[in-house]
Amino acid sequence: MEPIEIGLWVTSFLLVLVVVGMRVAFAAGLAGLVGLIWIFWAKFGYSPDKFGKALTVSVKIAGQVPHSKVSSQALSLIPTFILIGYLAYYAGLTRALFEAAKRWIAWLPGGLAVSTVFATAGFAAVSGASVATSAVFARIAIPEMLAIGYNKRFAAGVVAAAGTLASLIPPSAILVIYAIIVEQDVGKLLLAGFIPGAFSAVVYVLLIVGIALVFKNVGPPVKGFTWRQRFEALPGALPIVFVVVIIICFVYNPFGGDAWGTPTEGGALGAFVVFCMALWRGMRWGEFKSALLETAKLTVMIFTIIWGVLIYVRFLGFADLPGAFSDWITSLEMSPMVILVCILLAYAVLGMFMDAIGMLLLTLPVVYPAVMALNGGESVAAADSAFGMSGPMCAIWFGILVVKMAEFCLITPPIGLNCFVVAGVRDDLSVQDVFRGVMPFFIADGVTIALLVAFPSIVLYLPSLAQ
Amino acid sequence: MAGNAAVLEDGSLISRLDRKLLKLEQVFALISGLAVFSLMLMAVVSVAGRNTMNAPLPGYVDWIEQAMPLIAFMGIAYVQRDGGHIRMDIVIGALRGRALWLFELISVLLILVLMLALVWGSWSHFSRSFDFAAPLWSRDSSIDIGLPIWPAKLLAPVAFAVLCLRLLLQVWGYGRAMVLGLDTPVAVPLIQDAAEQAAAEAEQLSGHDNDAIGGQG
Amino acid sequence: AATEWNVSVWGKRRAFTEHVEKLAELVSDKTNGEFTLNISYGGLSKNKENLDGISIGAFEMAQFCAGYHRDKNPSITVLELPFLGVNTLEEEVAVSHAVYGHEAAQKDLARWNAKLLMTSPMPQYNIVGTGEPRDAVAEFKDMRVRATGGIGKAFSAVGAVPTSVTATEAYNAMESGVVDTVAFAQHAHLAFGTINRAEWWTANLNPGTVNCPVVVNTDAYEALSDAERTALDSSVDEAISHYLANYGALLEKWDAVLEEKGVTKVMLPEAELAAFRATAADPIREQWIKDMEAQGIPGQELYDLVVKTLEDTRAGN
Ligand code: NA
Ligand code: NA
Repeated sequence: MEPIEIGLWVTSFLLVLVVVGMRVAFAAGLAGLVGLIWIFWAKFGYSPDKFGKALTVSVKIAGQVPHSKVSSQALSLIPTFILIGYLAYYAGLTRALFEAAKRWIAWLPGGLAVSTVFATAGFAAVSGASVATSAVFARIAIPEMLAIGYNKRFAAGVVAAAGTLASLIPPSAILVIYAIIVEQDVGKLLLAGFIPGAFSAVVYVLLIVGIALVFKNVGPPVKGFTWRQRFEALPGALPIVFVVVIIICFVYNPFGGDAWGTPTEGGALGAFVVFCMALWRGMRWGEFKSALLETAKLTVMIFTIIWGVLIYVRFLGFADLPGAFSDWITSLEMSPMVILVCILLAYAVLGMFMDAIGMLLLTLPVVYPAVMALNGGESVAAADSAFGMSGPMCAIWFGILVVKMAEFCLITPPIGLNCFVVAGVRDDLSVQDVFRGVMPFFIADGVTIALLVAFPSIVLYLPSLAQ
Repeated sequence: MAGNAAVLEDGSLISRLDRKLLKLEQVFALISGLAVFSLMLMAVVSVAGRNTMNAPLPGYVDWIEQAMPLIAFMGIAYVQRDGGHIRMDIVIGALRGRALWLFELISVLLILVLMLALVWGSWSHFSRSFDFAAPLWSRDSSIDIGLPIWPAKLLAPVAFAVLCLRLLLQVWGYGRAMVLGLDTPVAVPLIQDAAEQAAAEAEQLSGHDNDAIGGQG
Repeated sequence: AATEWNVSVWGKRRAFTEHVEKLAELVSDKTNGEFTLNISYGGLSKNKENLDGISIGAFEMAQFCAGYHRDKNPSITVLELPFLGVNTLEEEVAVSHAVYGHEAAQKDLARWNAKLLMTSPMPQYNIVGTGEPRDAVAEFKDMRVRATGGIGKAFSAVGAVPTSVTATEAYNAMESGVVDTVAFAQHAHLAFGTINRAEWWTANLNPGTVNCPVVVNTDAYEALSDAERTALDSSVDEAISHYLANYGALLEKWDAVLEEKGVTKVMLPEAELAAFRATAADPIREQWIKDMEAQGIPGQELYDLVVKTLEDTRAGN
C-alpha cells in the first residue's frame, strides 16, 4: 500500500477514536504510532520476521517526540500566559476592571453590556484563555445586568461572546500554538491579534448598542457616576495597562526606537507584574499553590495534546500526506479565495464538535501548507501572490482567521464551551438560554470574519510596522 | 468536551491506592507549577541583569529548554486522574451502565498500550543521551552552554510510568464497574454532563476570585 | 527492487542544502531511477535529533551541525574551534573531509550507527552590528553578542557577553538591544534578516564556523548493491562542487547586498586580529585538547591533522 493510502486509513482511524470519546491527545499519539508501524512494516515488505523491527523503530521515533517537541523556548509562552491569568484572579483585577468600565461607559445604551465587553477585552490582555475569561465575567457581570432589568438570555450571551476576545488579544495561548505548528514568528502573530481583537470588541459593542436602541427593555443605560468616582476606579485597573504596555513594548516599541526585549521575556515580565500585584493584594501560599496547580493542570493538558498530535504529525511526515493534500488543493479549478472560504467554512462545521486547540493541532499540519501553496508558496512576493500578500504575511493573516474561527466555535451549538460555562455559573440559566442569547453575536462574528478576509490590512497593519 | 469530573472515594483497597497515588501525582504537578514560576523568575533575572549590569543570564534559552519537560510532563497522571485530558463526549456521554464502562475500559486500555510503548521509546531516547563513561554522564548537550540533556530526557519516561500506574488503576476501576454493574464506581472519573462540569469549573474559579476580593474587603 | 532512502534535513531548500539536492539528482540519474533519495525538510525529525534518527534507523541519510550537541559528536567539534585559519570554502571542505576520514571521528559517529559522507562547508562566521563599527579588540568589551559554541567562547575571552537567543529570535533580539551583534554565516544573515538591521559587518574577523556533516546510516549503506554504493560514493565530489559554485555565487552577491542595505564593511587591522587570536584561540584550543584527551579522544592529533591539511591544501594550490 502506498504511504499516502496508509495516511488516509490512519487518519480515519484517528477520527473514529476521537468520536467514540478517547482522549484526543492519546488518540492522536496512538494513531501516529500505529501509522508509523504500518509504514515501516510496509517498507520491510510485510515480512512476519520484520514486524518486530518495524515496531522497535516506530516506538523509538514516537518516543523522541515528547521531549523533542516540548523543549522549545517559544512554547514556554503558553504556561507563562496561563499563569498570568490565574494570578490575575488573585490580584482582584477582574472586578476592578469591570467596576472601572461601568463607571466610565455604562451611560451608553446597553451600557452594562458594553462595559462587560470592554472589561473583558481588558482582561483578555492579561488572560490567554477564553473559557476562563467567560467563567469569571459570568460571575461578576451577569448579576449586575440582571439587577437593573436586563433580559437574562442577552446578558448571558454577552458574557459568552466577549470571553472569546481573550484568544485574539494577546497574550493568547492558541496563537502561540498556531505559531509553533506553522513555524512562524510568535511575536508578529501576537502583535497581529491586537487590532482584530479590538475590532471584534468594537463590532460587539456596535451590535449591543444597536440592539439596546431597538429593544428598549434589553439594556437600560446606567448614569450618575461623578468624575471623582470614575477616577477612583482607575487605580485598581492600572496593572492591566502596565502589563499590556510591557508586552507590547517587548514585541514592538510603538513609542519609536527599539523594542525592549523578546516576546518571551515580555510574557514572563507581565506575569511577574501580576504576581507582585497579587502579593500586594494579600495572596498567601495556599492561594499561590492553587494557582500553580491550576496552571500546571491546564498546561499539562495542552502540552499532552501538543506532543500527542505531533506524534501523529511525525507519522504524516513519513506518509507525506501534507504534500499530497497541498498538491490536490492547488490543482483544484477554483479561485484561491473560494477555496479559502471553503476551508474557513469547514472549520466552522468542525468547530461545532471539536475543541479549538485539538482542532488546530489536528488540521493545520495538512491545511496550512495547502493555504500557503494556494497563495503562491512560503517565500512568494506580495505582487505574485494569490491573496496579495507575501508568504510570511499570509501565514499571519491565515493564523488570525483560523483563531477567530476557533473562537467562533466556542459559542456555536451543540458544543460551545463558553456557553456551557456561563450556564454552569448561573442556576437560573439553561444552556439553551445562553445559546439563544449568544445568537446575535454569530452575526457580529460573521461580519468580523468577512471583513478580516476582505481587508487583510486590519490584520497585517501592526506586523508590517514591525518589519 | 473537556474538563474535570468527580472521582468518588470510599474505604476499599482500590480507593485507598487511588488516594496514595494521588499524593504522588499532586507532588509532581506542584513541581510542574513551580517550574512555570521559575520561567518567570529566569526572565526577570535575565532582563534585570542585562539592563543593570550588562550580565544577562548565561544560557537563558538552554535553561528554559531544560525546564520545559518539567512543566509539560510532570502533571500528566494528575490530569488523567480527574479525567482532565480533553475528549469529545457526545457519544460516550449518551451511554449508561455496563456499555459506558466497557467503552471507558477499552479507551483506558488503548491509552495504556500507547503509554507503555512511549515509556519504552522515551527511555530509549534518554539512554542515547546518557553514558556512564562520559563527563557528566552526558552524550547530548545543549547548544549554548553545553548543559547535559539527559536529566530532562529522563523526565518523560518517569512521568509516563506514573501515568501507566494511574491507567492500571483505572483499568481495574472500570473493569470492576463493568463486571459488578456499578452505577457510581470509585477511583475513576465519572462523566458529568457538560453543564454540571462547567459549573464545577466556574465554581473553582469564582471561589478564587471571591477569596481574593473578599480578602481586600 | 528499487531502493528508496529518506533524507532528513531542515528549514527550506537553500544554499546550505544544495549538495544534498544535487546528490539525489545524480544518484537517481546514475541508477536509472533505481536508487532514489526522498529529501524531507523537517518532516522526519527535529534538526537536533537527526543523529538519533539515524541511530534508530528512522531514515537513511541526514544533515546536522556538530555544535548543536557537542557531547553527541565531540571529535568533529575540532572543526568548530575558533581561529583555525580556514579562509575559503575549498579549505573548509579539505579540513572537514580529512577529519571525517580520521579513525577517531569515525568511531565517534559509529556510536550513532552513522557514517560520515560529506560536509556542508560554511564560510567563516562574521558579526553584524548596530551603532558605531567596532574595529578594535578593546571595543568588544561588554558587547552583547549572539554567538554559540567555540565562537561564543572566543568572544567571551576578550570581554564580550555571549547572549542566549535562538536563531529565529536573533532579529528581534538585535532590534530590541538584547544583543548588539550577531555572528552568522552570510546565508544565515540573509535568512534570519539580521542584515536588514545591521549598520556594519566584519569582513575579516573570521573567528570560526560551524561544521555540518551529512551522514548515512551504516546498515543501510552496507545493504546497498555495489552499483548503488558506487553511484552514491562517486557523486559526492560532484555534489560538493555544485554546492561550492552555488554558495560562491551567493558570496559574490554579498558585496552588492551590503551596498544595497547601506552596511559598512569593517576591516580589522592585522595587529588587532593577532591580539584577538592570541587571547582567544590558544587557551580555548588547549582546553579543548585537554578535555578530549581525558575522554580518550586524540584531540592533539585531530588538531594537528587540521593544521597539516590546511598547509597541504595551500601548498597544492
Ligand atoms: Na488574551
Ligand atoms: Na461549537
